Amino acid sequence: MTNEEILNTIIEGVKEGDEDKVFEWTNKAIATGIEPLVVINDGLTKGIQAVGTLFGNGTYFLPDLLLGAKAMDAGIKVIEPLMVDQKRDYVGRVLMGTVEGDLHEIGKNIVIMMLKTAGFEVLDLGVDVPAKKFIEKAREFKPDIIGISALLTTTVGRQKEIIELLEEEGLKGKVKVMIGGAPINQNWANTIGADGYAEDASVAVDVAKRLLA
Amino acid sequence: MRFDYYSEEQLLKVHEASLDLLKKVGISTSSERFRALLLDNGCIEKSKRILFTQDVIDKGLKTVPAVFKLCGRNDLHQLEIGQKKAYCQTLVGAPSVIDLESGERRDALVKDLEDTTRLADALDNIDIISPLFPRDVPQEIILTIETATCLRSTSKPLSICVESSRELKFIKELLIATAGSEQALREKPIATLPVSPVSPLEYGFGPAEALLDIVEAGLPLGIEPCPQMGATGPMSMNGLVAMHNAEILAGVIAAQLYKPGCPLTMSSRATFMDMRTGLALWAMPEMGLMSAGLNQLGRYYNIPVAPGGYCGSSKIADAQSGYEHLYNALMEALAGSDIIGSAGSLDNALVECYTMLVMDDEISSVVKRTIREFDVNDDNLAVNVIAEIIEKNDNFLGHKHTRKYMRSGELWIPPLSKRQTFEQWAAQGQKIEDMAKDKAKNLLAVHQPAPLGEEVEKEFTTIIAAAKKALM
Repeated sequence: MTNEEILNTIIEGVKEGDEDKVFEWTNKAIATGIEPLVVINDGLTKGIQAVGTLFGNGTYFLPDLLLGAKAMDAGIKVIEPLMVDQKRDYVGRVLMGTVEGDLHEIGKNIVIMMLKTAGFEVLDLGVDVPAKKFIEKAREFKPDIIGISALLTTTVGRQKEIIELLEEEGLKGKVKVMIGGAPINQNWANTIGADGYAEDASVAVDVAKRLLA
Repeated sequence: MRFDYYSEEQLLKVHEASLDLLKKVGISTSSERFRALLLDNGCIEKSKRILFTQDVIDKGLKTVPAVFKLCGRNDLHQLEIGQKKAYCQTLVGAPSVIDLESGERRDALVKDLEDTTRLADALDNIDIISPLFPRDVPQEIILTIETATCLRSTSKPLSICVESSRELKFIKELLIATAGSEQALREKPIATLPVSPVSPLEYGFGPAEALLDIVEAGLPLGIEPCPQMGATGPMSMNGLVAMHNAEILAGVIAAQLYKPGCPLTMSSRATFMDMRTGLALWAMPEMGLMSAGLNQLGRYYNIPVAPGGYCGSSKIADAQSGYEHLYNALMEALAGSDIIGSAGSLDNALVECYTMLVMDDEISSVVKRTIREFDVNDDNLAVNVIAEIIEKNDNFLGHKHTRKYMRSGELWIPPLSKRQTFEQWAAQGQKIEDMAKDKAKNLLAVHQPAPLGEEVEKEFTTIIAAAKKALM
């Protein structure tokens, strides 16, 4: 089998959302002596880009995207330990979390998956995250964007609290803030001074890219 | 009239799957009280999940009241929850409204809460009122202000959804002030309080604590998780029904273990996700179908049910929202509903709309007409009348039988839509939503709710001041 055929099989595996296949063929690629970075760039990344294209033209749906992302991750996990001095190129860095008092995460998780698929590096703080923790992690992780999710109408006020704390800590302006969640709209984003808002996960990627441009 | 979504055999299979989930997967909670209650009663803890046993399930399900009263603050409104009367309840928690004048979506304000409540008070087929979430009040005491505003603007029973126990003390004080005493409130509860655990099968801290505190206060509880097919629940409708039923039963059992015989409803919200955008859809037909299945389970357990049904994905009051709301509400009513929620909603229960509330009043009217019980007897079979008319070569219009049944309400009279001649219609050419908008404006211009009384108002002022002091 040629290197090209091996890489194509990895691409197919990612497109099919087949974790086992991607894991197996990523290992084979390494064993054959293909450079780790080449496996990422010409195999896994091309696979997830194909998934993105199929989603974009309406052939694929969210579950196809998630399975594709999981399959890509299965390959990345094989390769990451081998890439000691080489660094992956990311489009940008995003810190994400659901506000304190709110345990809802499905919307946030879809956005994270879409951002990763689009080439962002994402750190997920999970749910029920206090404002202070957003700030603490922002100092450590140094993201380009902080994404704040809230679903409950009684917890959306926490988004404002986090933005105010960023201001107090002198981080406002240095890092962009995006907000989302079912009860959120552009008007609320304007009111609390968020830099970006998106009504769904696809738009969230566009907004994130625009904020970094 | 009764519709069964599942056959008897299928129903038992779904029920068994729910029990299986309770026994094998169980629930999680970070409330020590909730955890201790379940463990003390025989639940088992296994790697941070609380698993139910058949004994605990049997014990918890044995004491649920099949029927309880829900009252207005005056004697005009007495609801019998458990008699499958399909009471219509307004949407809870909308942060936005469609402006009645401009038709634009904008943030919900306290004025909107007053007006939507007053409008619902005026509409005969709306029975229970739930508040929208105004943006122009201190969010720390939002539920306290909502409860006070609703109590002032209607004499109908309320449903106040709480996410935690934070404001519960003040909500209860307002209800007691209105009812006259704690005893009076217990005897004639004027509000149900739903809590919303997180799907799948997670009671967290806030919902678990609130559940116990509501039961403690003696107020009717609603257990209202909201899973989405393919996202926070399985993509198969039967799987979602089984899981949703299990997470609701967990709350039912916990409430009964805490206070055996406490009144409650199984308040399903069986929704689904748009697989392209990730939006949560409260639309048809899946929501109506799954709710029908869940209602049937409620009937099997003899526990009152309160699904959301006056809902859909349409963004304005139009033909789409009309058929979406009718489909879901009717499916649920036919399968046996005590309360059907979300009236006046648009955009997957995210937006409240005055015009839609008036349209839902009409839909509620026909839904209730549909499930009205009836006899089949010689008089209404009218064999003799038919024979007589044919024998006399007459018509039915001039017969006393016709007048009798016309007067007794055999024909449904639409509260909103018109059925005049084409020419009469063409003179104005109004669509149903235009008529609904006019009716909303007219009712808001004239309708005044029964006043609370000076003493109660004084108490309200004191309670709100105390809430501000304690929570802001």
